[in-house]
Amino acid sequence: MADPFSGDSARKKSDFVAEVVNHTLHDLVIRCTKTEEVRNYYHVSVIGYGRHVGSCFAGPLSARNIVPIAEVADYPLQVKSSYKRVADGAGGWVEIPVRYPVWIHPASDGKTPMCEALARAKDILQGWLLQHPRGFPPTVLHLTDGESSDGDPNEIGRQIMSLGTDDGAVLLFNCHISTRRSAKIEYPTEESSLPDGFARSLFEISSKLPSNFLAAAAQLGVNAVESSRGFVFNGDPSSIVQFYEIGTSLTGMTPYRWMDDRTETA
Amino acid sequence: MSSVKQSVNLDLQLRQLLLPKLGQEVSECEDVIAVDTEKCRFAVADGATEAFDARKWAERLAQQWVRRESTLTPEEFRSWVAEEGRELHDWWNGLNLSWYAETKARAGSFAAFVGVELDLKSELPCWKAIALGDTCLLHRRGDVLVKSLPLARSDSFNNAPILVASNSALHENSMKSVVSDSGKCESGDVLLLMSDAVASWYLQCFENEDLAAEDYFFTRPDNELIEFFDQERLAGRIRNDDLAIVRIEIKERSMG
Repeated sequence: MADPFSGDSARKKSDFVAEVVNHTLHDLVIRCTKTEEVRNYYHVSVIGYGRHVGSCFAGPLSARNIVPIAEVADYPLQVKSSYKRVADGAGGWVEIPVRYPVWIHPASDGKTPMCEALARAKDILQGWLLQHPRGFPPTVLHLTDGESSDGDPNEIGRQIMSLGTDDGAVLLFNCHISTRRSAKIEYPTEESSLPDGFARSLFEISSKLPSNFLAAAAQLGVNAVESSRGFVFNGDPSSIVQFYEIGTSLTGMTPYRWMDDRTETA
Repeated sequence: MSSVKQSVNLDLQLRQLLLPKLGQEVSECEDVIAVDTEKCRFAVADGATEAFDARKWAERLAQQWVRRESTLTPEEFRSWVAEEGRELHDWWNGLNLSWYAETKARAGSFAAFVGVELDLKSELPCWKAIALGDTCLLHRRGDVLVKSLPLARSDSFNNAPILVASNSALHENSMKSVVSDSGKCESGDVLLLMSDAVASWYLQCFENEDLAAEDYFFTRPDNELIEFFDQERLAGRIRNDDLAIVRIEIKERSMG
């Protein structure tokens, strides 16, 4: 994650991923905001892995494994000021000051203990499912830039996919990002189209995209069909943004396209 | 139920019902009814649940509109909404909001709106209405639905109606969908202003030629009426949403 994306030598992958995750959290909070109150429609966990496996939340939420969205809203690590370009209503554009919260900082060290990270995710899911047996089934969005350094993740991935609520199975989506200039493969339907065993292993532990997620993909112009898996291989920056937008579009709402209107970060 | 004398020949009989979603308090209801019997203007607005301060925007639209003169053409409506939106955004800008409320307020609020003005004093009594979104005006004469606007069929309702936006940047586009219309009034006519869930249900009753519900509606006391609509929502025949109904019956004025 310390490497830059190919063709974008100025930017580390870890910086970009942290920005996407912060904006995803921002989007979830806004979706749950009812005037001045944030309703706990979601509980969120952000697990990172490298030298250590654990919660990525910093500041007041430090070390919390799972956090109700109202607390996420109220306890960012910091709130940055930015500018946003908006239509002025008379055919032009104006830049207005806006505030963007930050919950996690980029990190990129150590190996890729994918099995340990997925096992941590499974523990958190099991605790949540005990308390919410009738809830909307959780979604796990797993992002990696390399092969597992602690074994084959297939078994632990299958264990996660076997969990669920009365409303359905836990959804596990995987996004692999790469610095290589290899062709990216997004939301495939068959493993025969994949280049190697690692890709096929992640494909096997990727859930099929349910209809709401397919609708979100269509709104973003992403080619996904009924039997598509929630899986991206050799993804680029736009793949990451779309992966999080699709993966958090549970309600059929138009995905929040923050990349379209942001101009500057202070 | 109230009676408002309007002309030598015609009276109005008015009935209103406002119910929050099942399981919610009245204070959470985002449907608003406004009535000005002197001006003979009636309005229903339905604030969008996901929007910022939706009830306040719906209240502002309905209550300010019935107090005004005219505002019955799309052009008048457009400039009036722009002014109301600016005032509301100025007020929000003066509040000390959290980052998320500030973000939400900047996007603004949204509401469906329908307003009707009756002129029963002229030789040709009539109504004029303006609407945007999925709150509806329905004009019934006996067993005939004379008009329904802005939507005319129960299957025309969906989850993404074009609404009245408080944000001026969004409001120009939505204003292209404003509907204005008028019609003649006769003794015995019934005009209904309804928010989306109950309007959809009512149109379906017409499509199924099942008008018993309407007969039930205006003959029962409030407690039975509320129970009726609660049961309809529990049974899923009406979506569990806020309900707003203004029923205006035009009658021959009783002499003496």
